[in-house]
Amino acid sequence: MRTIIFAILALIPPVLVGSLVWHGRKAPPVEHAPAAARPPGQEADAALRALFEPAPAGATIKEKVALYDEKGLFDYIDGAAPIFIDRHFRKLAAAEMATPEGSDLVCDVYDMTTPENAQSIFDKEKSSQAKPLEGWPEAISGPMSLVFHHARYYAKLTAFDAKAESMLPAVARALKEKMK
Amino acid sequence: MSEGEKPAGMVPEARLRDSGKPAADESRGEPASSARGEPSREGLGTLPGFPSEMDRRALLRIGVTAAMATGAVALGLGLREREGQGKKKTLPKLKDHRVAKVAGANEFAIARGPDAAANVRRAVEAVGGMGRFVQRGERVVIKPNIGWNRLPEQAANTNPDVVAEVVRLVAAAGAGKVWVTDVSVNTAEQCFARSGIERAAKAAGATMVRPDATAFREIDVSGKLLHTGDVLFPFVEADRVINVPIVKQHGLSGATMSLKNWYGVLGGQRVKLHQNIHLSIVELALMVKPTLTILDATRILLANGPTGGSLADVKQMDTIAVSTDEVALDAFGAGLLGLNPSDLGFIVEGEKAGLGTPQWQSLKTVELGG
Repeated sequence: MRTIIFAILALIPPVLVGSLVWHGRKAPPVEHAPAAARPPGQEADAALRALFEPAPAGATIKEKVALYDEKGLFDYIDGAAPIFIDRHFRKLAAAEMATPEGSDLVCDVYDMTTPENAQSIFDKEKSSQAKPLEGWPEAISGPMSLVFHHARYYAKLTAFDAKAESMLPAVARALKEKMK
Repeated sequence: MSEGEKPAGMVPEARLRDSGKPAADESRGEPASSARGEPSREGLGTLPGFPSEMDRRALLRIGVTAAMATGAVALGLGLREREGQGKKKTLPKLKDHRVAKVAGANEFAIARGPDAAANVRRAVEAVGGMGRFVQRGERVVIKPNIGWNRLPEQAANTNPDVVAEVVRLVAAAGAGKVWVTDVSVNTAEQCFARSGIERAAKAAGATMVRPDATAFREIDVSGKLLHTGDVLFPFVEADRVINVPIVKQHGLSGATMSLKNWYGVLGGQRVKLHQNIHLSIVELALMVKPTLTILDATRILLANGPTGGSLADVKQMDTIAVSTDEVALDAFGAGLLGLNPSDLGFIVEGEKAGLGTPQWQSLKTVELGG
């Protein structure tokens, strides 16, 4: 019995080493990166999520805020994705929200890396039929929709009824306040 | 006596006893090796913790047996993999869902008017009626665009009144089963509800198929881009397929109408398909071969497609066009969007692939006013 155990134990190291060599893998690093050394993307993701914490203008988040990267963007906006990717899109935070009256609206905030990229996509998407909000030329409102850009963000708000539509300016202003 | 002072060849159990602990074998009621009468030896066998000659033989046997077993398993796995590579999995292809042409029949019908359902009825009647395309007892799948979490007024999805009227016409033709389905881009539950299509189609008698994981079947596509694909099961099982797309501007392909609507039969692969969008559109259209296409231009999305959202981008057109020629319908739809069909790669490639003609006026056409 002791011999069998010995033999099994003796086989484990060469099998492990052989397996690692065979697969060309290296042992995983033991140390974890300290919080201060986290990639900047994680900080930016946290900033993106923080825009919805708490939900703006008294609205409530219906489901968890979803983040989409370059690859995932096709799954959310399909063929509209390339015009964002061409402008150095980094990540999208999408939130389905309910107003205090129970109306639904969708809020998509795109992190475009720089204010210039955010303005570029705003200029590309703004409808000639839509009108700027009073005192806020970087925001335009079309029926059922409001888009604006601020700092490195481009935000697109979509309402599904008149009550939600009336809430869009307040939601947009609350988001803008949090955008650094 | 300290350990360093022990004479060479001293047996392990003596050492352990010196330390006041029992030998391992003894602890299990077995005598230690020297106590079994085996000779004491120089070398590894005599060192503490190393096995005797008998133990080494046993160890060697175990090692050889283990190596042989490992080799046998590896050989087996290798042969299995080789066999798997040699055998190609046989997958079904989608049927050809088209019907034979009728001599003298209209090939292209356009109906305009404020009632979307009436436009559908008149346009379908003008190309021979639904009875020309659907026989009694046949199973029919209707494919609208239900890709987006948008209201009908936002013109990102097919108009629900149009879909419901197609369901009624198919049912009236005697179809045994009517499915309505699409692979939504946004969450299917939201899209099916917000678009109004689920409610309208169910009320008209259709079975809605949501694109959950169990709804797909793997098929052979045999394309340049796609070799196989997972499609919604009604497309595998149906006798007839009716395409009911909406007319929209599209950021990448320029427009999405009949041919592009087949993206919605596939599960996943969107990123891959978009990397060569015009070719992939044509490949999917060659794969499906629908029975009839009913183009919804009740409201069209002029900008910011395919998602839309702002009513400022929507134009009311109150138009339905019907044909079996998807390229012709897309060329007609391009005109509604203010686009030149020859600027749209999928129309050019679709014509080259024999899917139809962009010269829709060259077909036997009927236009019905409101």
